[in-house]
Amino acid sequence: MRPRKKGAAQHAIAVGWLVLIVSAALLAPWLPLPFPADSVDLNHIAQPPFLPPSVPDTSRHWLGTDGFGRDVLTALVYGARTALLVSLPAALFATVVGTFLGSAAGFWGNSGLRISIVYWLMGGLLLVGAVEIVSTAPSAWWLLLLSLAAAVIIGKSLMRVPMLRRSWPFPTDRLVLGAASLLSSVPRLVLILALAAVQDASLPGIFLLLTLTHWPEPAHLVRAELLRVRTLPYIESARAIGLSGGQILWRHALPNAWRTARTAFPLSLSALIGLETTLSFLGVGLPPEIPSWGRTLAAARLDPTAWWLALFPALALAATTLALRQLTTNKISA
Amino acid sequence: MGRFLLYRLLRTIPATWAIVSFVFLLSRALPTNDLLGQALSDDSVGNRGLTAAEREAALLRIQERLGLTGPVFYFSCTHSTTGAVWQWHGSDNQYHKWLKKAVKGDLGQSYRSGQPVTAVLGEALRFTLPLTTSAALLATVLSVVLALWLVCGGPAFLLSMLYAIDALPLFVVALGLLLLLANPDILPLFPAYGMGQQTADNAPWHVQISTYLYYSTLPLASLVLVKLPSLVVQLYDALRHELGANYATTARAKGLSAYQVATRHALRNALLPVIALLTDLLPALVAGAVVVEVIFALPGMGRLMAEAAATHDFPVLVGGVLLMAIMRLIGLVVADTLYFLTDPRIRLQA
Amino acid sequence: MRRLLWGLWLYTFLGLLSACNPQSSTSDAVRVRWVRDPESLNPLTIPNDIANQAVGLLYQNLLTVDNQKQEYVPWLAEKLPMVQHQDSLTLLTYRLRSAATWDNGQPIVAQDVAFTLKVMNSPGLPNEEARARFSFIQDVRLDSTDARQFTLVCQGRAPEYAYVSGEYPILPEYALDPQRQLRTIPLAALTQPTPVSLSKYPVLAAFVQRYNAANLDKSPMNLPGSGPYQLTAWRNGQALTFRRKTNWWADRLPVQQPQLLARPKQIDFQIIPDNATALLALRRGDIDIYPMVPANEFNRLRKSESGRQALRFYTADSYEMVLAGFNSSRVPLDDRLTRQALSYLFNIPALIKATQNGMAYPSVGLINPQEKAVYNDSLPLLTYAPQQAEVLLRQAGWARQSTGNWTRRLAGGQTQALELSITYRAGDAAFETIALQLRNAAARLGIPIQLRPTESTLLLGKLRAGNFDIYLRTLSGNPFAYDFSPLLHSASTGISNFTRFGTPTSDRLIKAIVREEDLGRKAQLLRKFQVILRTESPLVVLFFYRYRLVANRRLTNLRVSGLRPGYEVMAIEPLPEG
Repeated sequence: MRPRKKGAAQHAIAVGWLVLIVSAALLAPWLPLPFPADSVDLNHIAQPPFLPPSVPDTSRHWLGTDGFGRDVLTALVYGARTALLVSLPAALFATVVGTFLGSAAGFWGNSGLRISIVYWLMGGLLLVGAVEIVSTAPSAWWLLLLSLAAAVIIGKSLMRVPMLRRSWPFPTDRLVLGAASLLSSVPRLVLILALAAVQDASLPGIFLLLTLTHWPEPAHLVRAELLRVRTLPYIESARAIGLSGGQILWRHALPNAWRTARTAFPLSLSALIGLETTLSFLGVGLPPEIPSWGRTLAAARLDPTAWWLALFPALALAATTLALRQLTTNKISA
Repeated sequence: MGRFLLYRLLRTIPATWAIVSFVFLLSRALPTNDLLGQALSDDSVGNRGLTAAEREAALLRIQERLGLTGPVFYFSCTHSTTGAVWQWHGSDNQYHKWLKKAVKGDLGQSYRSGQPVTAVLGEALRFTLPLTTSAALLATVLSVVLALWLVCGGPAFLLSMLYAIDALPLFVVALGLLLLLANPDILPLFPAYGMGQQTADNAPWHVQISTYLYYSTLPLASLVLVKLPSLVVQLYDALRHELGANYATTARAKGLSAYQVATRHALRNALLPVIALLTDLLPALVAGAVVVEVIFALPGMGRLMAEAAATHDFPVLVGGVLLMAIMRLIGLVVADTLYFLTDPRIRLQA
Repeated sequence: MRRLLWGLWLYTFLGLLSACNPQSSTSDAVRVRWVRDPESLNPLTIPNDIANQAVGLLYQNLLTVDNQKQEYVPWLAEKLPMVQHQDSLTLLTYRLRSAATWDNGQPIVAQDVAFTLKVMNSPGLPNEEARARFSFIQDVRLDSTDARQFTLVCQGRAPEYAYVSGEYPILPEYALDPQRQLRTIPLAALTQPTPVSLSKYPVLAAFVQRYNAANLDKSPMNLPGSGPYQLTAWRNGQALTFRRKTNWWADRLPVQQPQLLARPKQIDFQIIPDNATALLALRRGDIDIYPMVPANEFNRLRKSESGRQALRFYTADSYEMVLAGFNSSRVPLDDRLTRQALSYLFNIPALIKATQNGMAYPSVGLINPQEKAVYNDSLPLLTYAPQQAEVLLRQAGWARQSTGNWTRRLAGGQTQALELSITYRAGDAAFETIALQLRNAAARLGIPIQLRPTESTLLLGKLRAGNFDIYLRTLSGNPFAYDFSPLLHSASTGISNFTRFGTPTSDRLIKAIVREEDLGRKAQLLRKFQVILRTESPLVVLFFYRYRLVANRRLTNLRVSGLRPGYEVMAIEPLPEG
């Protein structure tokens, strides 16, 4: 595609920027910032950048302040920390969940995974029991564990009965695709806004939300990859030597899927950073004492003349997204 | 063909029904205290204070008028000292009544405005559909034009520019356009809000259309700008791939120019993957774009749903979810039909 | 290809040019910014301030407020009611204006008032709020000799009955009940507390059906009121247009009274939820009036050359205040010394400067300092004094640990830590600044405070349930009545007394203030109340807003005031352009 040298330079820049962001995020509390996180300077409200302070003996707001008197530079550094803290674990978790579900769906399809009648029965009984326990006495969750163990033991012994050894297929593919389309039938932002109206903003809450709404994307990718992989000769031969489905999936097919997931990971991460800033912009999701690039951008909306509030976080956001994408393109072309 | 479609429909309807029922039951399980609104919350010093009994009585009246009394579902489980007691209520429950009406097309009334939900949704759709549809069409047409231009030797910086725009979330693009092009301090080219109300009512049609265009330029531009990059890049890659294929080489050997090869031969094949996008496109058309509607003050679907969620106007919320689920269903069926027509190899697999 | 693109550009450009004609607004229309849709113009529900303003153009109450003199004046009534007391009842006798007629020329009579009260109390109509608010009106007695005279029979006695009893829009009987069937049902049968079944009154059931079918929420034209305007267009979430009636009854009055003025030929309310967008619209000349402008926008516009040329700027001292309340039933805040200590941590002057650009004023308590007669000026204003707060905390039994945090020993032997949270409506910039300032000040003392912005629907439930430590909210007062029982009486705990405060002394005092009719004695009681409020500190009034309004220069006589909505749209006189 492009001359090799140029690609390498771009790659270096991208990695450099990401290292800068990550180290700023990790070292934020120890950086020599003139203003601590979230401090309000009521004497300097919406001050343009680079100006000397109007009150003597105070530090300079290098990138200006927002309408609340918060330092923009500090907000950017701590915003990077938030972007990492929220988006990175959510992207990781969503990728893991998506890979797991997507590979199961792609590998087994609707008929590949057969479960014997015994376990169908046991599963059904367990489900009823779980509903009963949760609705009557949620504190007795340990009972569930006990009954799970009991189910496995009883199941093993019942397997001796030949009639019960017959198996029915488990519709893995249909279930995973169904769950994914169920999630996507309500637009993500509306779903999140609806949840925000019944629940308080919190860090774990937004982490769960991002994970829950994002896993279908890696799942679709991995599923498509496994649909291809499962017809490859080496999988056929693994089957031929009598390995079980689980073993083949875990040892042979998943490593292939991981490569897809890993390539898509920076994209997931940039999408989630975008989503997190959008939510902060709309004022839902994150508690307000946690700085975010989106929140600084939202301050720009209150004050159309404050270009510095829009420019700096937008630049940081764009640079991070571009750098993450650069990583992906390099991986694909390599 | 007919059997194939029927089968797909039958498979997706239960999912739609399940999600709508789930949202409905969830909404009825939440407390309805805030129905009384802010007016009875006494946020002014002068108002006569209500006693607790008066408040309770008023709340009960409201619940009765809105049909929120009585059991929610066919059965319920109450906890007492003797343990859980299951009760069967028969068809005299809120869910049954709602379902019976919903099948006939009556989704109830909005808590906030007292209007039928179907009317509220219709009103919002009247704004959302033209905007999102024209955005989708414009994005598609522009992406074809740009991709062809790029393939035939357009400037490379265009691609970098598209990459740069793609790196920004929708809200940053929309905010940027608003602050740059509708700001009296910078460039007051476009109106900042709304959809042009004054002239639109009894003006000749060309004025109406030009007013509409004038007012919807910025929201439209932000939607198109955000969609464009991924479409162009995808199409550009597909076109390059197709141009490298044998038939394209043959065509070029016959003496056709690169532009002719691209438009006459490669484009049709490159456009095929776009069908897949249709599945996601239809619900997105109906759902509107919350961010753009909030920033440009458009009374569309996205804002309606967001506000309904924020103010707990559940009939509207449930109705909106139903509408989107149905649109998704239609999108799936249309996409399947198109696939079926374009590629007869796809048949019933399951 | 290049040519094709050029062509495209050219077309777009031409299209834009032809479209760029600015809205040709009729110069006699006044265009006002509204922050949201009124949602419903049903005269029975009136769900918000904005709907209230709109309903005031369509319908008229018996009484209204003159926002310049800040007192109640007769509107449909001829004068304020005559008050008599009879045992536990209050009798209020009104007479309607002789000139007042409906649009069809029929006079407005006492039967219309009786009809309105029946509609307000009928089951099956969305009138729960109105019914609860006016539940003190038990019956209406019509005068047999004078069709315009009537007497309202009210339960109990309170000075404010005299004007609250005239605060609902009067509806025309002829439009909804041409057969006059509701006259057969006595009002007292509907106002009684036990639920009334519609099956008992077939006439009423038919009426309820007619009323609901009229869809007054969105089409108030189905019930033409006596107001000077009619709604001609309502584009949902975008704009409402009101046109002046050509022959309104008050035009025929010989003397023009300010409350019966209706100058603009047309009023357009433009719904623009976003402040920045509204500001742009104002500067582009798309709207004429922008009420409740954010402080920094107001100042910036006032300083800009273009703003000074095209716009006029108004401020008015309002009765709307921002206050912080403490949950006095929760452990760390259940003693008054701790509450007092925390109230010294609000830097009120800096907050006024930062959030309102100085356009607000402090007060010692819930009473507006403008009300010189009842304001207790011997109390000092609160200052920002962290040292004082530390002293008070020590007095309250708290001790600072080596870690910097505060703890105190309880009677049971456990230790208790001073950690708090502050709850407020999400998305409000001023609240956020206040919360951040308090958090910073408290953190310096070693008191951790968490911010809890909450969606407004959730917020109310939380406040009622007492599920908070400190809250921030706005509260609107008025110059007419001082009933603090919803806010601070112990009987209102769990309903509207969010602080859950209430001592026997304060409860008695609040009731005494409500009952007192003599102004001198009332002032004394109110001064005492302000002292109690300071020592007990269940809440801290941070400041009263100064309302800010920006209007186009060509508009005059806005009658700007500190009472909502802050101006009088019907009085505005647009100067001819040129």
